[in-house]
Amino acid sequence: MDETLTKDRTGRKSKKEKKMTWSLIKSQSQLIYMSVPLLAYIVLFAYVPIWGWTMAFQDYKPARSFSDQKWVGFKHFEFLFKDDSFLQVLRNTLAMSVINLILGFTTAIILALLLNEIKKVFWKRTVQTISYLPHFLSWIIVTGIVATSLASDGIVNDVLLKLNLIKEPIQWLSEGKYFWGIVGASHVWKEVGWNTIIYLAAMSAIDPALYEAADIDGASRYRKMLHITLPGIKPTIIILLIMSIGHILEAGFEVQYLLGNGLVLDWSQTIDIFVLKYGLAQGNYSLATAAGIFKTVVSVTMLLFANWMAKRLGEERLL
Amino acid sequence: MGGTSKTWLRLGTILLLSLSVVLSGCSGGNAKPSGNNTPEQTATGNNDGKVEPFEISIFIGEAGQQPTPDNKIYKKIKEETGATFKFEFLAGDIDQKLGVMIAGGDYPDMMTGNTKLTAAGAYIPLEDLIEEHAPNLKKHYEKYWNMMKDPNDGHIYILPNYGVLNADPASNWYAGPAFWIQKAVLEDAGYPQVKTLDEYFDLIAKYKEKYPTIDGTPTIGFEILNYDWRNWSLFNAPQHLIGHPNDGGVVVKDGKAEIFADKDYAKRYYQKLNEMNAAGLVDKEAFTQNYDQYMAKISSGAVLGMFDQHWNFQTAEESLITQEKLERTYIGLPLVYDTSIRDHYKDRPALNLNNGFGISVNAKDPVKIIKLMDRLIEEDWQKILSWGIPDEDYYVNEEGRFMKTQEQRDNFNDGTWKLANKADAWFKFAPKMEGYFSDGNSTDAAAQPEEFKAGLKPYDRQFLEAYGFDSPVDFFSEAPENDIAYPAWSVDLVDGSEAKIVNTKQNELSTKYLPKAILAKPADFENVWNEYVSEIRKLNIKAYEDRINEVLQWRRDTWSVK
Repeated sequence: MDETLTKDRTGRKSKKEKKMTWSLIKSQSQLIYMSVPLLAYIVLFAYVPIWGWTMAFQDYKPARSFSDQKWVGFKHFEFLFKDDSFLQVLRNTLAMSVINLILGFTTAIILALLLNEIKKVFWKRTVQTISYLPHFLSWIIVTGIVATSLASDGIVNDVLLKLNLIKEPIQWLSEGKYFWGIVGASHVWKEVGWNTIIYLAAMSAIDPALYEAADIDGASRYRKMLHITLPGIKPTIIILLIMSIGHILEAGFEVQYLLGNGLVLDWSQTIDIFVLKYGLAQGNYSLATAAGIFKTVVSVTMLLFANWMAKRLGEERLL
Repeated sequence: MGGTSKTWLRLGTILLLSLSVVLSGCSGGNAKPSGNNTPEQTATGNNDGKVEPFEISIFIGEAGQQPTPDNKIYKKIKEETGATFKFEFLAGDIDQKLGVMIAGGDYPDMMTGNTKLTAAGAYIPLEDLIEEHAPNLKKHYEKYWNMMKDPNDGHIYILPNYGVLNADPASNWYAGPAFWIQKAVLEDAGYPQVKTLDEYFDLIAKYKEKYPTIDGTPTIGFEILNYDWRNWSLFNAPQHLIGHPNDGGVVVKDGKAEIFADKDYAKRYYQKLNEMNAAGLVDKEAFTQNYDQYMAKISSGAVLGMFDQHWNFQTAEESLITQEKLERTYIGLPLVYDTSIRDHYKDRPALNLNNGFGISVNAKDPVKIIKLMDRLIEEDWQKILSWGIPDEDYYVNEEGRFMKTQEQRDNFNDGTWKLANKADAWFKFAPKMEGYFSDGNSTDAAAQPEEFKAGLKPYDRQFLEAYGFDSPVDFFSEAPENDIAYPAWSVDLVDGSEAKIVNTKQNELSTKYLPKAILAKPADFENVWNEYVSEIRKLNIKAYEDRINEVLQWRRDTWSVK
């Protein structure tokens, strides 16, 4: 329709392939105008703030004009990378992030598969609602619940004692080796229901004819799950995975900050907490910015890498 | 088109003209009062002519509650001076809030003191304003003038709220650090004199053995809190045990400050805690609990003792009083390692630097604000702000002493009543008289000796009588004169400096290793302690000590009062 319109108005040659021409731009001017606010939004809120990265190379002091700031080169990056605890902090961040990623994905997919098998709509809805309710709690509440359940007279110890699995209450939160697991489990409890929603949506888009054909071929329930449902939601899984890998340095902040204590410091401190302690709490906004840049660079790299891998494997891609 | 632009032009001119008229009116109005400004006139100046109402927006750097709209004291202030206050209380984290405020330069007229704000240039210098417009404030702060100056540029930005004393004040309430013990424990042991750490833990151990549960909950022998910035309960005891006052993370010996975390006398304390933990006296959850859990345990009445600052667990203790478990409230004991050491827990109040109000660079009319504060520091207003309205909130007996009836006393402990009848949000941070009024009454109702005695609950009176004391403060030795540079904990380490980073790291090490050391098997204690000490020695502690010594020296040089 565009083509004919163009031709009618301008009375000139029309080409089959869309080349960027003045006439094309003119003909789509309304569309272009409509995109201006969105473009402005992106430029204003996603690109202009990048200017703030200059802070990382200064000894930034607030309420001082740009020309009065002192430039210090890579000093803050050096502080960040040379600090003894940085490697440990990075390890904690990556470890908890990977645990969250793996646990988050497997539990959500398994729950979605199970829910998909429930034929009674009422039960399905009930289970789904109950499982995604914790998503709406804030972390401060969740950590409160976790800390109470893990206390020496909390439900976890109570149950273990009653089952005679342990002799005396375990101090869950004072042992570093439990910490990552506790964080991972809390994440699963809070987010598993919510994460299933997108998979369930993808499953509902699978052609029912495939299941019928499989039925005729005598496929069992598990076969159908394995050969129809899973491949059906594979593109969704891959896209979500690529996006999550981009967030590999975002292990969360509140959980570790609120559940952590001196005894588990070696396991609980993440990059964000480090930045809070040595950056923001000290008024050192430059260090916080430097850490932010580091995280962004890693994120973009990981994202591109995951995307490239997906392309190599012939899978769905994000970009 | 032409028509519209002409209209705009005309409108703009009118606006501009009216604005200039308004502005010139303002400046004219301002010039007058400052021209004939004498103390007497500021005091009574408002009587002639109408009071011009004005609003002061104030940021309070701690959580609080808005006073009721018809609060009687604020109403009175408005009637006399025209001033109304718009308070904004801190919700959430102070550093985050200030970060946002500083980044946006978005300041109200007045803010409570904070070194971050000073560093960002958010306050205006006050010394000229005070010299010119506030003779009463000038007189109030006269002796402390040099101390109030900012160490970095010599200006006065903050008007300290506490610590300006006109006499060594009598006090009946001790707010500072001590080893606290439940009154029931002392009562049960027949009111013994407890002087040393060993005696203290013996008492607790015996009581816990005798009463394994209190009101159904298991008895907790000794409680420790180490949560976020509330870390002194774990960190600070060793300096007191060797007879030094609270200097924060350092001990000042012969004028030189040094950290004590890695010293042998610190080890002695933590080794004792380690033994007590092995004996089951230390709360198992001490190091994983947060502040709320700590307060809940104290409020339950099951905690026999802890090392803390009184104000930190005050609300939990108030809850015990409300539950009428008076025998579960606490007495502070100034413990030392052995009886040859004189305890120095109680100190003379030092000027509370970096606390109190400052006027921000955004304030529309600083002169008005400083005049208001100048009026409110006068004695008649100080009485209203501290004691209340005569015959409503207190009465004056035949000898001219201020007293309260039981009902008035209860009112003063009632938070809801206070929101409607006290100007606490303002008064807490405003400059105030401390000590005695010119008629000999105490500036603080709680410090008026006869009023304190009359207000004691029978249990407490009997408890104090058993010891032959007038007030719980008598457990402490008399505070000697402060070193001029005292206290070291108020030294501003300067955000982002090496000293501050070293301090943060050292605290992190203590947070990590001290719990480990205390919870370790007694045989392993030595190893953990040595590791801790060697980790501390890796830090550039000298940078931290140097910064403190530098400021202490600066104080000695410039603060010489009188």
